[in-house]
Amino acid sequence: MSNLESLKFFWPELILSATALIAILSDLIYERKDSHKVSFWAIGGLLLTFITIRLFGGSSINGLFMGTMALDPFSEFFKILIVLSTIIVMLMSFNSSELDGYRKGEYYTIMSIMAFGLVMMTSAIDVLMFYVAIEIVSIMSFFLAGYLKRNPNSNEASLKYVIYGAFSSGVMLYGLSILFGLTGETNFFAIKNAISQLGPDSNLALILSIVFILVGLGYKISAVPFHFWTPDVYEGSPTSITAYLSVAPKAAGFALIIRFFNIAFGSNSAMGSDEWSSLNSLPWPFLIALLSAATMTIGNLVAIQQQSVKRMLAYSSIAHAGYMMMAIPVMSQSGIYGLMIYLFMYMLMNLGAFFVVMYVQDKFDGENFDAFNGLGWKMPLLGISMTLFMVALTGLPPTSGFVGKFYIFAAVIEAGNQYYWLAFVGVINSVVSLYYYIKVVRHMYFEGERSDIVSLPESKLTTSLVLVLALPTFFLGWYFSPLVEWANNSLNFFLGI
Amino acid sequence: MDNLSNYVLISAILFSLGLFGVITRRNGVAVLMGVELILNSANVNFLAFARFGGMNMSGHVYALFVIVLAAAEAAVALAIIINIFNNFRTINVDDVSELKQ
Amino acid sequence: MADIVFWFVAFITVFSAGMVVTSKSLLYSAYSLLFTFLGVTGLYIFLWADFLAVVQVVVYIGGILVLIIFGIMLTNKITSVNISHSSMQKGVGAVVAIGFIASLGYMAISSPWLQAANTEPAETTASIGRLLLMDYLLPFEVASLLLLGALIGATTLSRKDEDG
Repeated sequence: MSNLESLKFFWPELILSATALIAILSDLIYERKDSHKVSFWAIGGLLLTFITIRLFGGSSINGLFMGTMALDPFSEFFKILIVLSTIIVMLMSFNSSELDGYRKGEYYTIMSIMAFGLVMMTSAIDVLMFYVAIEIVSIMSFFLAGYLKRNPNSNEASLKYVIYGAFSSGVMLYGLSILFGLTGETNFFAIKNAISQLGPDSNLALILSIVFILVGLGYKISAVPFHFWTPDVYEGSPTSITAYLSVAPKAAGFALIIRFFNIAFGSNSAMGSDEWSSLNSLPWPFLIALLSAATMTIGNLVAIQQQSVKRMLAYSSIAHAGYMMMAIPVMSQSGIYGLMIYLFMYMLMNLGAFFVVMYVQDKFDGENFDAFNGLGWKMPLLGISMTLFMVALTGLPPTSGFVGKFYIFAAVIEAGNQYYWLAFVGVINSVVSLYYYIKVVRHMYFEGERSDIVSLPESKLTTSLVLVLALPTFFLGWYFSPLVEWANNSLNFFLGI
Repeated sequence: MDNLSNYVLISAILFSLGLFGVITRRNGVAVLMGVELILNSANVNFLAFARFGGMNMSGHVYALFVIVLAAAEAAVALAIIINIFNNFRTINVDDVSELKQ
Repeated sequence: MADIVFWFVAFITVFSAGMVVTSKSLLYSAYSLLFTFLGVTGLYIFLWADFLAVVQVVVYIGGILVLIIFGIMLTNKITSVNISHSSMQKGVGAVVAIGFIASLGYMAISSPWLQAANTEPAETTASIGRLLLMDYLLPFEVASLLLLGALIGATTLSRKDEDG
């Protein structure tokens, strides 16, 4: 479809980019002390984007803008997830005292641009487009990680992030250049056609190119062995940004991985297809299953040893990336929609957990486990919500975390007995994670003094934000059929079933 | 000079040298130079494949984007490094380790 | 004759790239990088990429390299760079690099790259422009947003705050 005709399907993205521009312009008007008001514009624009995504949803068009973008319910699901988490994180940032003393106008502008990049990542069907989208996300997250520029930890976080980020995208680019040499195409569908005509003597080049591309994408979702940047970056960044980085880029990264490998390397069931297994003569599904097992195990084992709750959550988010990766090798329809459900649940509970950590950091000046002592008695609302988030992150019923894990594990077991071991490793890891998640609960209720004065958070915004995150975390554990149906419908279009 | 594999070979050597630089260097700017080598190697590949694939101009557009984004990335990295230097007075990646426990 | 020039350019590129990653002094590395970039520019010319060759000189040498040298000068580490890389790390790096040269080199020679009959050298600028404004219009526009974001972010980071 030509560029001009495509514009009318592009409203959400247009509004999102206009939001970024309006945000930076409005920053010129406000005084320095009022610079947080830029967020009103940004949040308003994001809400408008959300509405337009819903309005234009349901259609399925491949090849917008001369075959560089797709519009389908699959990307719609991820777009909604990304826009929602951006709005929540912006609201979280209102109360963050870390950001006090810095201009906030640019913060919200950069976040809007990053949201735009993430949205583009979910719907790119051209290699050039996905490279540009990934770069937007990377560069904006370098800035956000280093936003506290007088804080040495934040500086270190952004330095490590930028250097390893530039390196991983360089490696990915080299892989893309090999792919270009074999196929001469940039569109995913054209690449697929070209690959299906390649002979066995191109195996080596194809394998190397896939490995290099996986380095770049694995970096984005912080899979082992490209996870080493995660804890330092997550600990050094402002907590609101840590929450954002642990959710939104992961969602977009998984969307991109699924779309790219699904279209370019196979028909409908990416890694299960004949082309995938015969052409490359390497057991890809097994290798990725192995990486997934390594990711969750390493994430969990290191999370146990942490003294700081923020760092513990950083490592545990690596483990969660591992659980989500379990769905990639099976790549069946149930696997992908298990992954989508898991991502949605994970967004709510992880943002919630980081929000409570941020609150405790601000109020009790510390992010170690000891800072949580007696929190459950002092502030019952936060205590109960944090308990809920921890239980959900472990994946126990009756919370939404259980539902997410259930669908992923079910898909893995359904895929046949060659993956039973993977499900087993996943279950063992969930049990291990119980130890450090419950440690937070123990500190909140059984350590420190039990105070008799009960209080709510002072600001109404904090209270309502905690409720907005905690209530769905709880109730989606009971009533999840709409979500499951939504994820399922999104996939039907995508896989053409 | 009229042989595609020569160019791909040169680019492979550039890539490996860049990788060597990233692994062995500890100074932020030096690692960045290794990354630039990797990006250049990818670009040589793109242009070589473009020419020997019958002047496939997509490769040129690719390379153009890579150069633009590499410039943006370098600017960002140096802004961060200079900011760090103001706080730290050192830019060795591993020395800057307040976080390591 | 052209062959000799080609191999000369290739040698300059690879040799100076080697200097970039092995030189003890950061500034020498940066100067070697200049010759690598120039060598790569030469390769671009052999590949009939006239426009890209100019862009390479203007952006890489005129922009990125100057930025890097600026970074080195500003951070004031010109002569006293004692990067304490242990020999162990160097050994690992060398093994990895040689492994990659071997496997990528084998791939370069043995793979059935997509090749078409040689065409005549042609001016590339017009067709690049056409592609940018037709087929790749969207990435082109999106890249502009990226540059805007990079501009905002870089000024935010390097700006001196009035009140500390």
